[in-house]
Amino acid sequence: MSNTETQRPNPLHLLAAFGTGGLLTLMVFFNGELGRYASPLFSSWAAHGTGTVAAAVLLAVLWRRRPKASDTKPRAPLWAYLGGLSGAITVMLTSTTVNTPLGLAGTLALGLAGQVVFSLAADLWGLFGLPKRKLLPKDFGALGLVVAGSALIILVGMGAGA
Amino acid sequence: MIAPILFALLAGLLVGLSRQLNGRLAISTSPLIASFWNHIVGFALLTVLGLIIGGLIPAGAGDAPWHAYIGGPIGVVFVAAGSWLIARIGAVNTAMLVIGGQMVSGVALDLLRSVPTTLWASALGVLLILGGMALAQRR
Repeated sequence: MSNTETQRPNPLHLLAAFGTGGLLTLMVFFNGELGRYASPLFSSWAAHGTGTVAAAVLLAVLWRRRPKASDTKPRAPLWAYLGGLSGAITVMLTSTTVNTPLGLAGTLALGLAGQVVFSLAADLWGLFGLPKRKLLPKDFGALGLVVAGSALIILVGMGAGA
Repeated sequence: MIAPILFALLAGLLVGLSRQLNGRLAISTSPLIASFWNHIVGFALLTVLGLIIGGLIPAGAGDAPWHAYIGGPIGVVFVAAGSWLIARIGAVNTAMLVIGGQMVSGVALDLLRSVPTTLWASALGVLLILGGMALAQRR
């Protein structure tokens, strides 16, 4: 993390991020199944509950000696613990909007736009204590290609069933 | 129609906010600890909400197959990975590649499950996304 201005990200990190997108697809699929049997609220509640247990078990398994006090990690501000609120509210919003004329495609497309806008601001200003990252023309080119491809898949590719 | 549009946009902003906060927490703790807090705080909020509006545990919950419940543990890995990556490759790269990976794997899942799709659009979309990835890792 020392060199936050690195212009060329590690390709393995990029691949890892791409792979976690696959995890997201699986997560959305399984949570959708649960929502179909029960309700969207129950699905999100249960996913957060089983996730809490899974994380606690993993932490217990991986638990090693506490780092010494001399390990100087800066203390996290209280607001840094609130990512879960933001995530839970997201689920409430999207489970509402998929049942409006926007449907799944509109919800996904607008969500994509929201994420892109936030991430640009986050890197530009280094929001919430994370490093600023200088954006190069190629970054905007890459972002444009991914957004265009995603929009095509969401708005045209997924449209066949409608 | 304005309200749903604003809600859907806000949902996207909140996805980014959540990753940014979890990423900040991971710097001070660890990605897995950040993921733990993300889930327990979300669980607390949804519990309160469910108790207020009622019907938290609907009748059909018991009928769901066990695999419908593994979205939560998958989410733990997802949040931990995002919290680790965002400090290393930045918010734009993380968001862009997670979205790209979600889209490409979503197309693959739809093909596997024989969900009707407009194939040319999905294929072209996948190519554009892969092109974006190639450009992102260029020097």
